[in-house]
Amino acid sequence: MDVIVQILASGLTMGAMYAISTIGLALVYGSLNMLNMSHGALLALGGYICYFAMSHLGLHPVLGLIAAMLVCGLVGLGIYYVAAQPMLRSANFETQIFIATIGIGAIIENVILRLFGPQPTAQPLNLPGALVIGTVHIPNQNLLILGVALGLMAALAYLLQRTRLGRAIRATAQNREAAQLMGVRVGVVYAQVLALSGGLAAISGVMVSSLSSLLPNMGGDPMLKAFIICVVAGLGNVYGAVAAAIVLGLLEAFAQYMLGVRYSFAILLLLVIAVLIWRPYGLFGRRQVVRL
Amino acid sequence: MTIRRDLLIGLGLALLVALLPAVIGMRYVLTQATLFFIWGIVVLQWNLVLGIGGIFSLAQMALFAVGAYATAMLGYYFAMPMVLAMPLAALITVVVSTLVGLACLRLKGPYVALLTLAVAQVLYLLIVNDTECFTNPSSGCMPLFGGVRGFTRFGDLGFRDLFGAKWYVANYYLGLVLLCLAAAFSIAIIRGPMGLAFQALRDNPGCAMARGVSRFKYQLWIFALSAFFTGLAGSFYAVHFAAVGPTAFSITTLLFLLSMIVVGGIGTVWGPLLGALLLMLADETMREFGDWRDIGLGVILAGFVILLPKGVLGSLQGLVQRLRRARPS
Repeated sequence: MDVIVQILASGLTMGAMYAISTIGLALVYGSLNMLNMSHGALLALGGYICYFAMSHLGLHPVLGLIAAMLVCGLVGLGIYYVAAQPMLRSANFETQIFIATIGIGAIIENVILRLFGPQPTAQPLNLPGALVIGTVHIPNQNLLILGVALGLMAALAYLLQRTRLGRAIRATAQNREAAQLMGVRVGVVYAQVLALSGGLAAISGVMVSSLSSLLPNMGGDPMLKAFIICVVAGLGNVYGAVAAAIVLGLLEAFAQYMLGVRYSFAILLLLVIAVLIWRPYGLFGRRQVVRL
Repeated sequence: MTIRRDLLIGLGLALLVALLPAVIGMRYVLTQATLFFIWGIVVLQWNLVLGIGGIFSLAQMALFAVGAYATAMLGYYFAMPMVLAMPLAALITVVVSTLVGLACLRLKGPYVALLTLAVAQVLYLLIVNDTECFTNPSSGCMPLFGGVRGFTRFGDLGFRDLFGAKWYVANYYLGLVLLCLAAAFSIAIIRGPMGLAFQALRDNPGCAMARGVSRFKYQLWIFALSAFFTGLAGSFYAVHFAAVGPTAFSITTLLFLLSMIVVGGIGTVWGPLLGALLLMLADETMREFGDWRDIGLGVILAGFVILLPKGVLGSLQGLVQRLRRARPS
């Protein structure tokens, strides 16, 4: 019984963490058809900015988090104007932006490496203590992550469903030309989406680093998992991505307990490949009819 | 016509390069040139997959590592002579590549990129996290796949006994021969029926598929075939450096090789080789700046995709065509 609670707790935490990193990716892919390979570097950047703001500038944790979100949002904006916008109209935009963002990610990661060094650093934003249920200890940090993830998802759902910006984002994702004809300034929407995704990456980076530690290349692994989650859910499907993130987090916690940490990622991948052979467009993705 | 031109260019270049050791005998230059041959083979094959086949695969370095590991393990566990182990490792790579292709190629575009990247990452993690001893030699615990340390002392081609201190010159020529074979293979694919099939699939997918050109079939073929020389390159890399480790999977190397293709020109016959040459020269210059090297690589990669997406050779070809058209005939 205790074991099940433990698995559930760590699985939900992981799933929530994955969900935060995944939402940003799914949003960007959904509206621009752009796979942002620099997302992992943005995660690391967010973590480090928060660390810098708190331990070097002595800011309050909330302010540190906001600073991280602002910086990463700005970087996301920069990525749009420097890389995505110039090639938006080219025929193989998807491949080109993929390669370009790999390069940008390498730049960001190595700048962090230059500034902060290669040694692992502890993330100061951390809640001490734990919640005790029976014999099971659940660290408060995990609860904080769960809470933040839930809050973010609610905020994002509100943003997408109820606000003007959200409507513009959804319209652009559905049909770029039609949205443009209806007076949506698509370029502005894209820029906003990338800034938003950068901010989400920052939060995700702070959360991830608070459970392990800060490293310049810490973003690679969560990003790959976030991508896998996006693929399983169907690229660009935000709500599907959240569901898939939580399911995969639980699965991973279960696999780690049953078979050991070593094989958890491999098993996850096998499962994903099986799902994709069954449904090539993801669990929640719609089969796209290609007109020639 | 064009195939003859390409083969002539290749032959001329190869002869020129073959004379290099007579002019510059410096060991450093020749070893770097050998490394250039190895990367040249890999990018030529990767270009087949990426530029010709239109498969956005990021598993190329993993296949390279499979070739290297297979060679080392055949030598280490079975004491197989390297002359046999190298081609066998290349065949093993083809088998692995076919399996990866079967799993990934039903998907398209970015899905393939992510899945292949994930496959590479899983292989890396499985090797690095392996701590159980498979054998226990005097040097300490040895996991099945070498663990973090990797393999050393699995034998060599015997060049050291044959040529003594000049063994690296022999490696240089072997690398050159392998590169020539890989280039000939790549030209044959690009200019041959398979290249035509892919061109048809690019130009008019509906018509091509209606005529029975199956995308999946051809993509699987090119993915599997290109793995042969990729594995062989990995195998030669292992023998040349007499060591294999998990660094073969490093993201920096992946970035470096991808930059070569992008800088040279994706999908062109000679672009990847030109890119390999340019980037190795640039790398040599950036070495002076030490840790800024990776940032430089990132800038080159992103800059080229944004400003010159067709690469040096692709842009030159475009320029020549425009000039020809402008000239009144």
